[in-house]
Amino acid sequence: MSEAEQLSPEAVAERVRREIDRAMKRNIKGLDFLTAPRQDVGAMAKELVHREGTAMLYRYRPVMDEIYRVPLLIVSPPSNKGYIFDLAPGQSMVEYLLGRGYDVFNLDWAPPRRDEAHLGLGDYVDRFIPDCLATIARITGESEVSLSGYCMGGTLATIHAALHAGNGVRNLVLFATPVDFTHMHLFQKWSDRRHFDLDEVVDKLGIIPPEIMMGAFDLARPANRTAGRMHLWTNMWNDEFVRSYRMFDRWAAETLPVPGEYFREQIRYLMWDNALHEGTLEIGGRKALLSAIKVPILNIIAQHDHVVSLEAARPLRDRTGCTDYHEIVSKGGHVSLVAGPAALRRLWPHIDGWLAERSV
Amino acid sequence: MTQKSFDPFEIWSGAKWQEMVQKWEHEINDWSGKVTENEQFGAMMGQLTKVQIVAQNAFAEQMETLLRNLNLPSKAQVDALSERLDAIEDSIERVRLAVEALATKTAATEAPPEPKRTRKPPAGDASRA
Repeated sequence: MSEAEQLSPEAVAERVRREIDRAMKRNIKGLDFLTAPRQDVGAMAKELVHREGTAMLYRYRPVMDEIYRVPLLIVSPPSNKGYIFDLAPGQSMVEYLLGRGYDVFNLDWAPPRRDEAHLGLGDYVDRFIPDCLATIARITGESEVSLSGYCMGGTLATIHAALHAGNGVRNLVLFATPVDFTHMHLFQKWSDRRHFDLDEVVDKLGIIPPEIMMGAFDLARPANRTAGRMHLWTNMWNDEFVRSYRMFDRWAAETLPVPGEYFREQIRYLMWDNALHEGTLEIGGRKALLSAIKVPILNIIAQHDHVVSLEAARPLRDRTGCTDYHEIVSKGGHVSLVAGPAALRRLWPHIDGWLAERSV
Repeated sequence: MTQKSFDPFEIWSGAKWQEMVQKWEHEINDWSGKVTENEQFGAMMGQLTKVQIVAQNAFAEQMETLLRNLNLPSKAQVDALSERLDAIEDSIERVRLAVEALATKTAATEAPPEPKRTRKPPAGDASRA
């Protein structure tokens, strides 16, 4: 359309009509937005098959008559709810994977209770994950799984695979998984050992509230929340945008507290000592060596991830003993790997392509 | 070169507004990035976290006294109750899982059949990595 046409009286009238219509919708829907209950999430039917305190194992109901032999276990980061993998129809990684014939399990976390403040890294990688593998074996009759994880969930999956030399793990599928913590710049600054009194924080609080972590995110990207609201206001007329915004907003707001001991070990061993990367991490008297991991690895990294940089995630390529390593660097940010319509089009088909032939 | 005509609605068009907001967002975030690079940032954050905890503790103690005077349950008492509820919830969950396991064993024929685990990757899938 030419500029002359754009500014013809008819075009101006049309623009006026459209803008008034949108303004009215913004106001009406804006009011709805403020008074609406929290957005429903979850596209697929699931069942709790194992629970041990904070650890909850769900199985998503398979939707295909014939599925791949090897089940898939996705480990959620302990500070976030697992429904990010199953936000809504058309934006759900779980929906996609079920439709492609996978048997999908999710290790999710309930907020830890005060009597769980003592849970450390070892409880996560050497107790919760093995217990889930045993439950999956009992349900499916299969002795190995494709072990997957997102963010710190990926790190826990990696430490488990390193400790057990991949025993019971057929493949590792890792999303935005930090391994070299010297490249976690924001958290390095925030938890600078010269100024951050880790023991006092943990001993005083017991359970670490989400506000402590959220504060660091907000300082790193102070404009994101406001900018998000500004985009929301412009798109308030667009039901699809608002629904999507509310789902992501709910997920971000529902950041979980974590056990103090887990927090202490995460900061001390991973952040300060970079022990996983350096090969000095010990869990229950055993070394978790990346070089012991020999199973196939699919490492999925977000190009514009301000939480886990490419450099933080990439050492899986060189530090592990894996000879079947594949890496996907996907456009977008930290969350766009595991949720949203863009990942459905651009990323998940590649994951399916890689995983299918390693799941038989 | 043709001069672009003034369009009073352009600013409100999605693309233009989005561009403006994104520019502002990047500028603020870049500025913040520079601030956090500063050596003093870590020191300030450490102090801030400490102050936050001290303030939280002091406030919690004050509240505890106030609630006791008002004959209302304190947070510690609610937490204790909550822990007991959690333990009951866990027990119910364990009982549910046990009952379901039993029911599955006794009514295996009624349960929906497990899908066959014999699926093969489609040949010549274009999405193969």
